[in-house]
Amino acid sequence: MYVVLVYDIGERRVGKMLKLCRRYLNWIQNSVFEGEITEVKLKELLANAKKFMKVEEDSIIIFKSRDERWLEKEIVGLEKNDLDTFL
Amino acid sequence: MKKTYYLFNPGRLSRKDNTLKFTPVDESGREGVPKYLPVEGISDLYCFGSLDTNSALYNFLGKAGISIHFFDYYEHYTGSFQPKEYLLAGKMQISQTNHYLDRDKRLKIARKFVEGAAFNITKNLRYYMKRERDLDQQLNRIQSYSELVAAASDIPSLMGIEGNIRSTYYEAFDHIIKDHAMESRSMRPPLNEINTLISFGNMLCYTQCLDQLYHTQLNPTISYLHEPGYRRYSLALDLAEIFKPILVDRTIFRVLNKREIQSKDFDFQTNRVTLKESGKKAFLKAFEERLNETIKHRTLNKHVSYKHLIKLECYKLSKHILEIETYKPFKIWW
Repeated sequence: MYVVLVYDIGERRVGKMLKLCRRYLNWIQNSVFEGEITEVKLKELLANAKKFMKVEEDSIIIFKSRDERWLEKEIVGLEKNDLDTFL
Repeated sequence: MKKTYYLFNPGRLSRKDNTLKFTPVDESGREGVPKYLPVEGISDLYCFGSLDTNSALYNFLGKAGISIHFFDYYEHYTGSFQPKEYLLAGKMQISQTNHYLDRDKRLKIARKFVEGAAFNITKNLRYYMKRERDLDQQLNRIQSYSELVAAASDIPSLMGIEGNIRSTYYEAFDHIIKDHAMESRSMRPPLNEINTLISFGNMLCYTQCLDQLYHTQLNPTISYLHEPGYRRYSLALDLAEIFKPILVDRTIFRVLNKREIQSKDFDFQTNRVTLKESGKKAFLKAFEERLNETIKHRTLNKHVSYKHLIKLECYKLSKHILEIETYKPFKIWW
């Protein structure tokens, strides 16, 4: 499964969210991550996020796609992080 | 599926916030923009550049089950860091050794490896014969060699047949590949472009097999066709025989015939030819694509990648060793 994850989270908790997402997905922009992930790993990520989220204030939105090739991605301006596996 | 990362740039890999942080360093020692690699999505790392790390990182990688493979300046495989064995099985170890010690049992497995390799080689030749290459002579010779496999009475003669098949096969390379000449196989060091690619590709195939073996209960040091030696994972060499024609040779034909790699991607030194970084990257890209390519498996009735085929091969071998099902080598069927 290929996902795009965006979050809007209170300033005090945003650092935690960033660190958590970095473990599972690739950072592409402030508060935006994307990458290949399994259902179980995504559940794990969300379970961990719920531990520190305030559900009445914070939110996470996940756009799911079956495969990367069904996702048309267009970048205008600067690409902040390209997702190459050749470093 | 978890991804393989290839590290070409020199830099520092460290543990940061429970994930991996890679900071590239340029020639003058200046640090670049750090990049975070999602630890949960990594299967392994291939390290070609020089890498700065510390033991905290290795502890972390060990826990996450990620292995790193290292290669020296001349792209030789130098070793791996692998997390501790997690699929220990004494029973398997005993039967595996048993199959090695019993002459007949060992020969039976070794024959299968040669048989599989020969079959996949002829398949490659047939493919190119359909594309109007004159390979009749080589094909006939390989076929007559492979008829000898069943009659081979010991390992050295089996290895001899395997060697004959390979050298006949390499003669065919000159007809298959346009623009480049293979001449003959030269190793340590390779003397021309094709030989360099063969060495590089075989090494990748070998590490790939080793990686898959790690995820099964088989012990990679006890082998059947190759003699188990010291300090080498010879079972990976055995397995690689079957997959080299499919994974490595096909990739070589592709990158050279489609001109994805050209003479400018090589570094010609007085007594050896090495790949430049551009060549390494282009080859790895093609190889990676090949590994992730999927085919519909006949008996499993689902799509599997070439990478997964290697693992299935390990499973078949374990079943044979535990005497559940007789091992049949993988033969390309399309």
